[in-house]
Order: sequence, then C-alpha cells, then structure tokens
Amino acid sequence: MAKKLGKKARKFARKNLQSAAKRNRKIRNQFNHRRGPRRGESLPPTLLTSAPLFALPVRARLQGGLIESLLELVSGGSAGREDGDEDVPQRVHDSTMVTNDEDATLIHGLEFPEDDAELDADLSDSDGYLSEDPGCPYYSDSEDEKADKDCIMEDGLDRQNDDMNRDIKKQKKKLKKLLDKDPEFANFLEKWQSELESYRSNKEDSDEDGMDSMDDDDDSNDGNSPNAKVLKSKTISEWCLLVSKDPKSPALRNLLNAFRDACRYGVHSDGLSMQRFQNARVFYQIITFVLSESDNVFRALLEIQDDANKGKIMNLRNSKKWQTVDPLLKSYLRNSLDLLSQLTDNKILAFVLTRLRASVVLFSAYPSTSSRLVKILFRLWASGDQSLSLSAFLMIREVSSLLPDCLDLCLTKSYNTYLGSTKLVNDRNTKHIYFLIDCLVELYSLDVQKSYERAVTSVEQLNAILRQAFKTKEKEDLRKIDNWQYISCVNLWVRFLCCHYKDYNLHPLFSEVLQVIRGVAHLFRGTRYLPLRLRLVQMLNDLSTCSQMFYPIPSLLFDCLEFREVSQKEQTQRTKINFSSLLKVPKNLLKSRDFQEECVLSAIQVLSAHFAQWSYHVSFPEVATIPLFLLKRLHEQTTIESLHRPIKRLIDQVTENKDFIQRKREVVSFSPNDKASVDSFLQEEKFSRNASFTRFYASVAENCQTKGRKTL
Amino acid sequence: MGKRSGSKRKDKNKVILPPELPPEIDDDEVDLSDEDIAFYGTDGSNVAPFRRFDKKSIDRYVGRVAGRDEGEVERLYEERQKRKATESSGRPREDDDGLEVDPVDALPTKTLQGELIYNRAKKARSEDNTGSVKSKAQENGADAKQSIKKDEPKGKSKNKKGDDNKVKNIQSQTEVPKGQLHSNVLEEVKEELSAEELFEKKKAQLAELGMAMLEDPESNIRSLNDMLSISNDKDQKVAKLGLMSLFAVFKDIIPSYRIRQLTEKELSVEVSKEVKKTRYYEYTLIRCYKAYLQKLVSLEKQPHFYTVAVRCMCALLDTAPHFNFRENLLASVVKNLSSSDDVVRKMCCEAIRSLFINEGKHRGEATIEAVRLIADHVKLNDCQLHPDSIDVFLSLRFDEDIGKDETEEEKVKPKKNKRWQKNQEVPKQLPVNDKKKTRQELISKAREEVDADLRAVSFTLDPKERKRIQKETLSALFETYFRILKHSVTTSNSRTKVNNVSPGGSHPLLTPCLEGLGKFSHLIDVDFMGELISCLKKLSGYSDRQDEIPNDNALSVSERLQCCIVAFKVWRSNLEALNVDLQDFFVQLYNLILEYRPDRDHGEVLADALKTLLWEVKQQDMLRAAAFTKRLATFALSFGSAEAIAALVTLKHLLQKNSKCRNMLENDSGGGSLSCLVAKYNPEATDPYLSGALASVLWELSLLEKHYDISVSSMASNILSMANLNPTQNPVPILNVNPLEAYRDLSMERELLKPSKALPLNLKKKRRGKEFVALSPDVLQKADCSVDKDELEEKLQSHFAVLRGISENERLRAELNNTLSSINMYKEYKKQKKKNMKFKTGRKKVARV
Repeated sequence: MAKKLGKKARKFARKNLQSAAKRNRKIRNQFNHRRGPRRGESLPPTLLTSAPLFALPVRARLQGGLIESLLELVSGGSAGREDGDEDVPQRVHDSTMVTNDEDATLIHGLEFPEDDAELDADLSDSDGYLSEDPGCPYYSDSEDEKADKDCIMEDGLDRQNDDMNRDIKKQKKKLKKLLDKDPEFANFLEKWQSELESYRSNKEDSDEDGMDSMDDDDDSNDGNSPNAKVLKSKTISEWCLLVSKDPKSPALRNLLNAFRDACRYGVHSDGLSMQRFQNARVFYQIITFVLSESDNVFRALLEIQDDANKGKIMNLRNSKKWQTVDPLLKSYLRNSLDLLSQLTDNKILAFVLTRLRASVVLFSAYPSTSSRLVKILFRLWASGDQSLSLSAFLMIREVSSLLPDCLDLCLTKSYNTYLGSTKLVNDRNTKHIYFLIDCLVELYSLDVQKSYERAVTSVEQLNAILRQAFKTKEKEDLRKIDNWQYISCVNLWVRFLCCHYKDYNLHPLFSEVLQVIRGVAHLFRGTRYLPLRLRLVQMLNDLSTCSQMFYPIPSLLFDCLEFREVSQKEQTQRTKINFSSLLKVPKNLLKSRDFQEECVLSAIQVLSAHFAQWSYHVSFPEVATIPLFLLKRLHEQTTIESLHRPIKRLIDQVTENKDFIQRKREVVSFSPNDKASVDSFLQEEKFSRNASFTRFYASVAENCQTKGRKTL
Repeated sequence: MGKRSGSKRKDKNKVILPPELPPEIDDDEVDLSDEDIAFYGTDGSNVAPFRRFDKKSIDRYVGRVAGRDEGEVERLYEERQKRKATESSGRPREDDDGLEVDPVDALPTKTLQGELIYNRAKKARSEDNTGSVKSKAQENGADAKQSIKKDEPKGKSKNKKGDDNKVKNIQSQTEVPKGQLHSNVLEEVKEELSAEELFEKKKAQLAELGMAMLEDPESNIRSLNDMLSISNDKDQKVAKLGLMSLFAVFKDIIPSYRIRQLTEKELSVEVSKEVKKTRYYEYTLIRCYKAYLQKLVSLEKQPHFYTVAVRCMCALLDTAPHFNFRENLLASVVKNLSSSDDVVRKMCCEAIRSLFINEGKHRGEATIEAVRLIADHVKLNDCQLHPDSIDVFLSLRFDEDIGKDETEEEKVKPKKNKRWQKNQEVPKQLPVNDKKKTRQELISKAREEVDADLRAVSFTLDPKERKRIQKETLSALFETYFRILKHSVTTSNSRTKVNNVSPGGSHPLLTPCLEGLGKFSHLIDVDFMGELISCLKKLSGYSDRQDEIPNDNALSVSERLQCCIVAFKVWRSNLEALNVDLQDFFVQLYNLILEYRPDRDHGEVLADALKTLLWEVKQQDMLRAAAFTKRLATFALSFGSAEAIAALVTLKHLLQKNSKCRNMLENDSGGGSLSCLVAKYNPEATDPYLSGALASVLWELSLLEKHYDISVSSMASNILSMANLNPTQNPVPILNVNPLEAYRDLSMERELLKPSKALPLNLKKKRRGKEFVALSPDVLQKADCSVDKDELEEKLQSHFAVLRGISENERLRAELNNTLSSINMYKEYKKQKKKNMKFKTGRKKVARV
C-alpha cells in the first residue's frame, strides 16, 4: 500500500519508477475517495496570501494544509504525511547548497536551490460547475443502450466485481431474512446507520488526508453540481455541433461541465458524475472534442490572435469579454491538468500535451495553474518515453518562452530534474540523457544572459568540488566527482558552450569548464578510469571544435594507445563493455580483450575526430607525428587480431592526409608567422569537404553512431 | 638523644650491606648536629638520596633480623613523637604494623618540617607503592648497593662541610620518608583496587613522578628507577605512558655534555661532597638511560610497542644526539628508515634529517656515524630498501671548500678531549683534607666548568676537525651512491620487461641516489668521474649499436632522464677536470622526449632535463639545436600545457642562442643554404644529427598560437615574432623563467591550488529567437506526428473502462461491507434485546414485588 511505504521509498519511486508512481496513484484513487475536502482551500484566502510572511517551513506546510500541520503536531506527525506522492517536497532552503532529498546523497549540492513555496493563491477560486443553459438538449432516448457494456474489457477487476455482486446478493438475502424475522431490527439498524453517518461526517472534518493539489476541491464542488443527467452519445454530438458552429453557444458550458466530469472520472466513485457517462464512447467524444477545439473556441471568444503574448492576455483580463469567458477558461485549463495527472498512458498523455500546447499562453492568466502545469510537465519530461518526453519538453519550452515568470522555475526545475535522472546511467537510458541535455540546452538558450549566470554558479560549484577533492584526495571527496551526476553536469555545460560560444562572449566560462575537465582528467588517471577519460576527451573535442582552439588531445590518450598485456584465460565468456554507460572499469575486466579492444577503438574514434578538426591545417603533419609513432608501435605489438585492421586504416588515412598537406605546403610561400595566410590555407578544400580524411572521419562517426544505436 | 642514636643506628644498619663506614666522620656529625634540630634536618636532607635509598635495604634487613634492642629506642622515640603530636592519623596504625615500620621511617619525624609539607606526602607514598608493586626488587637492590658505595663518601663530605644553604630541599627530602608511613596501609588496600583504578592511579603516579623529576632532577633522580619499573607494567597502556613520560623527563634532564665513565683511578681518589653528588646523579642518570634504551630496543620488536618505541628513540636522537649511547639510538633509527610502516619511516627520516641539519648539536660526529650506518644498511640489504632511506642524504650539508687542503687536521680533537678530561680530573686531584684549598679549587673548577659548558653548548668546532668529519661523511655517502649505481647497472640487464612500466620497480634507491649525485656533483672526486659517467651512460640506455631499440633498457623514463641530468651536472661542476663526450646523452634525451608519458613519468624530471641539457648550455651545435627545436615543437603539439610551455621555453632559448636555426621559422621554398647532409626532415630519426631538422619549417608554432592555454599561445607567437628580427636581436621576453619553473607554473597541481577567480556575470544582452539550437530537426519532427485516431480512441476507452471498473469495485465493496456490518449488528441487536427483556422482566418482578 502506498501509505505503508516509507517516505524515502516513495520518493525513490517518484524519482525513478514513474510507472510505479502512476500505478500508486491509481490505487490511491481507489482508496482515497472518502477523503475530505482539501483544507487549504477552506481557509480564507487572506490567510493564504499572507503566508509569505511565514517562515519557510511553515509555508511549505501551509501548502499541505494548515490544519493538517496542526493535526500533525498534535498527533505526533502520523496523521499528516501519509501520502507523499505529489506531496509538497520537504525542501530545506539554504543560500548555497540544497539537499532536497534525504536519499539524494549523490547530488551533493549541484542542484539549484528551488523555491517551491509559491502559493496556490487562486486555487480557491471556484472553477467547478458551470451553470448550464437549460435550453440545451439532452437526449435521453436509449438508442445505443445495448452497446452499453460492449467496450468494457474483461479484466481482473470485473471478475472481482462480479464475485462481489454475487456476494452482496447473498448477504442481502441474509439480511432480509433477519429483517423479516424481526421487524424491530430494522429500526435498530436505521438508528445505528444514522449514528454512523453523523460520526463519519464529523470525523471527515478532522481527518485530513493531505491530498495533493491534483484532486483537491473535489467534494467542495459536489455540492453545486446537481446535474446528474446521463450523457448520451447523441447529446454530445449535438453539443459539439452547436459549439463548432458558434463558439458562443451555451452548449459550451454543458460541454465543459461534461469535460470536467470526464476529467475527474474515477476520482469519486460515489459521485454522481460516475453515472453521467453512458459508455466509453461518450467519454472519448467529450475529451477529444474539447481538447481539439477549445483552443480555437477560446481564441474566438476572446478575439485574440495566434501570436498573442502574455501582455495581451493581461490587458484582456480587465475587459468585459474576459469576465464572461473567465470561468469557462479556468474550468477548461484546470480540468485538463486534472486529466494530465490522471492519465497513465504515454500516448494519450502526449496527445493531451500536444493539444494543450496551443493554449499555453492562456495559462498566463492563472499563475498557480501554470506552476502546477510546470510540475506535471517536468515529471512527464523526465519519464523515459521518448515521444512523451519530447511533447512535454515542447510544452515546457512554450511555457518558458511565453510566460516569462515561469522561465526561472523552468530553468531550475529542468536542471534539477536532469541531475536527478542522471543518478543512474545504464545502457538503456544513455540516449534519453542525451536527449535531456539537448532539451536543457534548448531551454537555456531562451535567455542566454540568465542561463549564463546559472551556468557560472553551477560550474563554480563543480570547480569547488574538484578543488576540495584535489586538496584532500580523500575517497569521499573523490566519490563526488567520480559519478554520473558530476560528469553529466560538466557535459551539460560543455554542450551549452558549444551551442553559444560563437554568438556570445563565453570565454571565461569556457576556460573554467576546461579547467574542470583537465582537473578531473588529472585526478583520475590510470587504466581503470579510461572510460571517464574518453568521455572527457570527447568533451574537449567538442569544445575545441566550437571554439577553434587547439587542445592537445593525444596527451590524454596515451594510455589507450599503449600496448598492454592481455590475459589469455578468459576467452570463454565475453562480456560486453560499453563505455557509454561506464565511468570506471571493473577490476576483473582490466586485462580482458574486450576492454582493450574497446579502449583502442574509442581512442581511434576520438583521435580521428581530433585529426579531422585539424586535417586542413598547415601543421597537420606535425600534429600527427607523435600519435602516428605510437599507433605504428601499437600496430606492431598488439596481439589482438581484430584491432589490426582499424589501426592500420587510421594509420593509412593519417599518412595519406599528411602527405597531402606536405605536398600542398611545399608550394606555398608564406611562413608560419603569417597568420592570415595560415588561416586561409586550404580553406577551399575544407569547405568542399572532399579530402579523403574528411570522408574517413565521416565514416568513423557514422560507424560509431550505428554501433551506439545497437547498444541502446 | 634518641634522634642521634636513631641516626647512628641507621648508619649501622646501612653498614651491614655496604662495606665499612669511617666512624670518625659520624662523630663529627654528632658534634655538629647535637644542639640544633634544624641543622640536623638540613643534614638529613643533604643525605637524602642516600637515605631514601637506604630505607629499602633497611626494610629488608629489619624484616629479616628484627633487632629487639633497637625496638626500645624506637619506642622511646615514638612516644616523644606522639607528644609532639605532629601527626594525627597515620601513626597509630603504623605502630600496629610494628616490625614493618623501621627506624628509618621515623627519622624524618624528628624534624619539625614534616608538618609543613603534609600535602606532598602523597607523592612519596605512591612512589613507595610502586616500589612494592614492581617485580624487579632484586635489581633495585643491586643498584642500590652500587649507589650506596658511591653515595656514602659523598654524604660524609657534605656533612663535613656543613653546607646549610639548601633549606629549600629539606621539604622534599623529609616528606619522602614520611610518605612511606602510609605506604604499608595502602599496600593492603591496593589489592582491592580494580584494574581501572590501578591504571588511573598509575597514570597519576607517573605524572607526579615526572613533575617531581622536572622540578628538581638533582634530588629526585632516583625516581627514574620507579618510572622505569612502571614502564615494565603488564598493562600495555601504562607501559606506553611510562615510556612516553620517561622520554619527556629525559628530554629535559639530559645534560648538554657527554657523561664519561669514571676510571678506576678516579674512583679511588677521594673527592668533594658536591662532586660525589654530581657523580651519583650522573651515574644514576646514565644507568637509567641505558636501561631505558635497552627497553626501547627490546620493545621495538613487539608490534604493539613498535611505533611508540621508535617515536621515543627518534625524539631522543633529535634532542640528545651528543649524549651517551647515541650509537645504539642511531643504529635502531637507521634500521627503521626503510620500515614498511609509513609513520615510523617518516619519523625516522625526520630524526635523521634533523641530525644532519643541526650538526651543531653533536659537532658532526653523529652525522658521520649515521651516514656510515646507512651505507652499511644499504650494503646489507643489497640496495632493496625504501627510497626514503637514501633520500635523507639530501639534507646533508657540506662546506664548499671541502677537500682543498688537509694539513694538520689531526691535532684539534685530542686537544679538545684533553681539555675536557682535565676538567673532569681536577676534583680528583684535590687533597682531601685541605678545606681551603678545596674551596679555591672549587671556584676555579666552577669557572672552568662554565667555560667547558659554554664551549659544549656553542659547539664551535675547529674548522679542520670539521673538514675531516665532512670528508669522511662524504666518502661514506659516495660509497653508498656508487654502490647503488653499480647494483642498478648489473641488474638492469637482467630485468624483465614486465617491470618496465612501473617506475623504480626493482631499483627503489636509484631515483634518490641520482638526485643526490646531482646535488653533490661538485664534490665528486675527479678520479671517479670517468667511471661514473660511463655508468650513467649505460643506465640511460645508450648503446653503441644504433639499431637496438632503446626500450630494451629496463629503467623507467624518469630514471633515464635523471641519469642524463646527473651526467650533465657532474660534467658542469667539474668543467675543467673532465674531458668526456656527452653527445650520447643528447641522443638519449632526443629519444626520451618521445617516450615520455604525462601520467606515468614525472614531468618535472623532463623539464629539469630540458633545463640542464639544453637551457643551461650556452652554445649548442647547430644541427643538434635544430633537431631539438623541431622535436620540441612537435612535442608541444601532443602534450599538455605544462609540458608544452617547458618545451617552448627551451625552444625559444635554443633559437636565441643559435640564430642560424631561426631559419626554421621561415618557409624558405628554395630549400635554403643550410640544408646539410639530410635534405628531408625525418621525424622518426633517432639521431638528432641525421634528422635533417634544419630543412624543416616550424609550422607547429602556427597551430600552437591557437592553443587553449593563453601562456602557451602567447609564447608561440612570441617565438614566431623572432622571424622578423635580425639574428642579434631578441624578442621582448614574456616569460623569463627556466623550463622547470615554467612547467611548475602551469602544472595542474599548481593551477588547482590557485584560488579560483570569480567569473564575470555579464553578457551582452541578446535574446535569442525561437529557433532550436541543440535538438536536431528530425527529433523535432517526431513530435508532430500525433497519435493515431483509432488508437487514441481505443486507449481512451480502455482508460475509461479501467476507471469505471475501479469505481464499480469500490462501490460494491462499500455496499458489501455495509451489508455485512448490518448482519453483524443483528447480534448486537439480539443482545440488547435480551437485556431489555431482562430489564423488563426485572422491572416486572420489581413491580410485582
């Protein structure tokens, strides 16, 4: 049971087991239906808005409900925190370092401080039931009555339901017998039941459940939702028709009400809304229509264009038009969010997100709703599914660019989410992490000035950790670097630099990152750390390419190109070594063939990238001299047959290019100190990209890509 | 008169163990002390060490004989004592003990001072306690005998002279015996003490003993024995504490001179009281010190005491290298120089280093001893020791002019010794009876003593003597170094390739040895030089056959580079004397540059080699300079910034010194007049002369200008700017350091220890458009192909179904529960009904009644 799980375990689940979290949510919905209304909501808004004056922890509590926290104080903390799934994270705010999770020991302060205390100030706004125009038709004819049950799938629950039905019948019979036998008992029973009822309702007030913001204000709205008319397919079709004809049609209200009920379907099993949907088709109709059309409808109602920005919306807020549309819009947006948090299927989620993306700008009128949206979005973004991640990210980007207030939140959250998801790297999620990096860079390029400040903070943290480790050389400090979070963080900023180095003056950051990379490479030498080192070399290659500065890559690759003894015995079992998900090679593999092979192949790959970068430079022969020397020696000495060919190929290609450059430079007349001429040397050839080495490198890169894909 | 008889008796008792005691002296004493109690007290105090010692032997004696007649006297004395009532509690009990309390105990109570210092009595008591605890009673007894012999005459002479200026001492003297009164009581209680209390007690006792020692070592010197016995304790903690506190005490009380063994003759001659006292003090000190050292040496073998023992020895060596038994200390410390325990090794190295550095403490004698011991140690272990054991040699210091002339060097030391001996012998020759003369002598003696002390403290050593010692040290030092070199030469050929990569694999001593040779190269004898150079050549991997792969040599790159460095240092410091061709070392360096690996080898050694072989040499062969220039430029392209800058600094220097090589900076398409034997540059040549580097162009520099490191790139452009200058001109120096310094400046260690600078937080504000920068378009395309409609419908519907199923389930469950509980309620109902019935019937009954 979700409740029984330890807080830590739940947090872990939330971070790492998204599907499990979803299942939990489902199960919880099953049990929490009786929960009372959210306490925070029943508080007067004045109290809530004055909350920023409170100390931070209190504020965090307030979000969870004041009464809840009071209760918790009284009952020793057991009543409150029973479900933490979407609970307010217990963040400790610190000026420099933030450790958000108790179990996140590996994050060690790389995260940005997250200000989670934003208040759902307008959560208490009623957005529930919209009064309907009675003129709208309801079709009650049962033309599709027989199709009622058709689409309900036979699953475990249904069987269980049937069993229970039988049971109930049996027990009822029994009860009836008893009642028949003793008519006085009926009176007694009635009295008891009414007592129970009153007891329950009393208890409900004090029995706070700390429900998250997802299914709040449910019961409070039940009261003003008297419409229990069953929705038939025909009715919906009619309404849809009406609305698409005229956005101002009163049917819109009905439709949105239906949408609301659909979005909350399953949250209250005993609510009247359960009975409103005649069958699954109705449900589908409502959701698809509202999601696909409402953006157009609202834009038509508000008479705004596609390129409307936040300012425009804010201006509109005071207009008369807004007053009429406001409740409808609010209902639509909030209910969509409810839907988002209810859904479990990635495809539907992606669909909803794509639809909702069109109306992002409308969120700007409701800050609390948008921050809720952001939270949901980041959860979905970090989830492993590719298309869902992508659509979530596109939505995030839309939100960040259209709603300036959300940008900071998004930057922080994205960075922290990224760090959280790089805690564990394995063969399966490397691609996803690359995707996350790309997304982050996208997000951080929306406002480079702002991002630059963040980058500086983060890189300074990295540097401080590095220096600390360098000073003490203690295992604990070294562990802070020798992990994926640190390396991924460096990788992120390298990527960021690569994208923006040309357009902005990022040199200070560039040298800082460079120093971190060099420091890490210096600190972790030895064969065991070759994967880490190769990764760093790749970063250096990237940086070198983007900045057009020279970095002597070979100095870091000598270890790979050195011939080492291979133990002969373990030829029987071949373990697959994939450097993309390794930082440190296990000791038992150090002498294995596979490791050697992988080393040399990776070295060839990064080395050819380095050569490719300078393959048109006038001093290419000299660049290649020493590595060539080593490669030749390795080619002579190595006992691994499979390596002979790739090494030989690289040697040949490099030699060919070397001769080519030498031929070319023999006929030029400028000297090395003639910068302009040196720079223009062979530029034409470079742009035509026809030299053999360029082609060779392209093939190497492609080879690596396909190989990478295979392992993913 | 009881007091007198008591003292007499005491003397008698004492006499039993040692030989005769001259009676007339005793009489003298009686005469002097008869009337004045206070004086007697002082007298007693003067003889205190001896008396305190006595009590033990007397104890035994009394325990054995239990003379009745003396008991009478004692009782008398006791009664009188009671009347005086100075002591209240302790005494009656002692009376009960009877035999155990001997007259000696009573002695001090005759004086009145006992009262004054009552609080101090504890100290003595506990001291006695240990006396009883310890097991080595016999040993003490034996010691006692000896010291008594020595002591008695001393005490006598003191009495004669009647020195009464030591009132201060009285207190401590008197209290000691008094404390013993309690000892017996405590002895009984002792058994009840738990081990822990015992530990605490011993600790306190140690502290007290130590404090007393430090307060007044002269009179408390006997406590050393007690402390020694504590360090024999079974409890290891106590023993360790004992060792440590003994060390602390010795550290403070060891005199600044060496204590000499008295000759027979000296012993036989009567000396003054004071001298006797001093002799006794010294004798005890040296005996205890010896015992302590023996203990340390024996404990050193026990793993539990290893560190403590070595620590004590190192510290002792550090504080008292001039004192007796230095040889033993040195031997142990040197043995531990190559200990596998890091802490121990470090301590020993530090001790030896401080020995070398602070030669003033021991006039260099310990240095030569230590160096010889290390040399023997190396020889004994066949050069398989920890590098640290040789590393300490680097702290040796020699005078610059050593080895210049060696005339009449032998004179000084004996003379000095004579003088010293004279000082010692002065008191011996004193006529015993002549008091006046004695006094005079005393004065002159004191003066001389002061002089000697002064000399001993300042340790001004005669320059010639010093030179002699240094010469001996030097020869021992080089003997060690050459031994190591020879050993490396003979074994390197047989070394297998496997060891190749690990630096210093089977020649652990080679690196510090080469370092030392480099440092002391100016002191090497010319006769050895030829051999040394050929040795180094062999070690550096040079072979006459050119076709041999240099890798065959088993030494690591760093070691081979070091060989080159040493050869050059030797050559340079003996420039006039040596006529050796060092060309081979250049060839070695030329090839070793390519073998260098940043993480495996020490970059500083390479930089040092560049500095020594290329940077410091004033004029180079043009071909060689060109070859090195080209190679260094290529090297800079493939190695990190620190190595690169070292190479560039050297390169620049080469170009500055060899202006003809500057042609390499220009692309002379005509081939150039300088192209010599080899017309085409061959980067893989192993011989710098055959590489044809002069025909090449330093294109590398154009790429190095783009180096990420600003100092490397600016250095590269600085070098490039030379091309435009005429041969005599030099560019503006931008980095005026040698390669080694340049390397250190840019090394990662240095860079990371620099404080990190704050990054500027401002960028030109420029808001980017909405185009994507990082995500590739084909990834983005995937987002737009939305979900298939049918699939969506199906999924939504199944979602709906699941939700419905769940809610249905819940509803049913609630209903079921409701029904079930209703049924259960029936029982309740029945019960109630019954009760009601009863009640009703009861009421009915009541009504009936």
